[in-house]
Amino acid sequence: MRTAINGTRMGIVALMTVLMSLLIMDGMVDDWGRLSGGLDNLVVFFHQSLWPPDWSVIEPQAYPVCTAHPALDFTCSTAWIGMIETLKIAFVSTVFGMIISLPFSLLAARNLNPRWISYPSRFILSASRSLPSIIWAIFFVILVGFGPLSGALAMTVYTVGYLGKLQYESIEGMSKTPLYASDAMGLSKFETAVNVVIPECANDLISHAIFMFEYNFRHGTIIGIVGAGGIGYYINLYLKFLQYDKVIAYLIIIFFVVIILDMISIYARSFFNEEGDSSSPSWFGVFVPEILTSGLRRLRGQ
Amino acid sequence: MAVKDGGHGPIIRLHNIVIGYESEDPLVKIPNLEISPGEIVAIAGPSGVGKTTLLRTIAGLVKPLSGTVEVCGKVNPSLPSRGEVGYVPQRLGLIRHASVMHNVMLGANAGHKPHWYFPPSSTAKEHALEAISSMGLMDKIGEPVRRLSGGQQRRVATARTLAQSPKLIMADEFLSELDEGTMQTVLGSVIDYVRSSGAALLVVEHDISRAKSMADRLLVIDDGRVNPFITETTAMEVKV
Repeated sequence: MRTAINGTRMGIVALMTVLMSLLIMDGMVDDWGRLSGGLDNLVVFFHQSLWPPDWSVIEPQAYPVCTAHPALDFTCSTAWIGMIETLKIAFVSTVFGMIISLPFSLLAARNLNPRWISYPSRFILSASRSLPSIIWAIFFVILVGFGPLSGALAMTVYTVGYLGKLQYESIEGMSKTPLYASDAMGLSKFETAVNVVIPECANDLISHAIFMFEYNFRHGTIIGIVGAGGIGYYINLYLKFLQYDKVIAYLIIIFFVVIILDMISIYARSFFNEEGDSSSPSWFGVFVPEILTSGLRRLRGQ
Repeated sequence: MAVKDGGHGPIIRLHNIVIGYESEDPLVKIPNLEISPGEIVAIAGPSGVGKTTLLRTIAGLVKPLSGTVEVCGKVNPSLPSRGEVGYVPQRLGLIRHASVMHNVMLGANAGHKPHWYFPPSSTAKEHALEAISSMGLMDKIGEPVRRLSGGQQRRVATARTLAQSPKLIMADEFLSELDEGTMQTVLGSVIDYVRSSGAALLVVEHDISRAKSMADRLLVIDDGRVNPFITETTAMEVKV
């Protein structure tokens, strides 16, 4: 029988876990002295190779000739082309991944199906997320060649596994009473899935899909390193030529796009939770932390 | 709303059943109980005594530990046939993020669309609109259920069951959280349906005086809290 959490016991367990981690780390490191020169190396590397960033990556490429309006000539740059390709890969793989994962997650949910159906479905979902997306990308580059197609396929397979797990956990967490009511009414499994389970879990499912798009974008920047398209292709190219100042420029661009996507994601997800019912989300609320807005409200005496 | 042909036999026939959950102690023993078409039977008793489990057992959601349960002519069904049983659970079982219409259409489709793969049925939609109207919710038809009050949600669950036109309605404390006026409207609609269609109503009601006022027969499940002389939890019929 499980017992209630005891504060002292939890503290001892936490301390033991930290001590064990330190011991394991010590076993892996042969010379701790190597850490002493690390900071110096970083300073030298930063000043000699990384900084200042080479912003020529947002200038139009020499070939093909840029036909865009001069104010929009950055759209012919490698940074823009790579970034848009990564966004496309992330979008396509999220949509296809969701279409494929939803039936599997409905089958995998133990509150909807017996074990002989749910376990094989879980096995398929586990298999597709057992390899990281970059390994799937290598696999698809071998199968279909270099380019965004292999990237989109790799990210789709990974999305099926990852999103499917989030989905079936949401489905298993739903209230049992709508299922009782639909069983008593004699609705079929298909009707229950489509008309009861999906609408009841819709907010979670949409929220997970938005999160997955954001996740796929971040991972989509890496898969180009193995030739699967996107901005990673250009990062890998300049890494090979040791042009780290261009690499840092790409990384800064990725950093800002990730932040913007993260904020759009927070804004979009706020429509699909219970709080969205009582107050519509505002961009101000997304960009400014809650602690500051609540402080402002207190100052205004609200 | 006409009920589907229910035959002439009793709608529910329980024989020597013991209900409860496997690996737990039995909850209630019921030697014999028959409920005929058009009858209203209330189940009363202290909380935790097994009233809800009895409804779930009759709905086929929980297997009886022993004995036979016959519902609409089928003995110990794993689940009821499509549309025959309407169930209003205590926690309502509504889809909170979907609209009132979507929730009520579930019942209407179960009762008036023979199979899931049939195209949308205009009859089902008519029944859904009629049920929503009888519950006074026409102005909330497109609202997500989560935005409605507790009493309004209870009316949606009742409308879902009425739209189904079932042979048997089972309602678990479906009148709680309703004000007196709304309670009379909801109860009136359900009783009208039962009397006019020949369906049966089995209702769990915590309040014994209310149960007596609405039912033809009253079944009290007692574990010794009502009658201290009984030694095992049994259901006994009380004259109303």
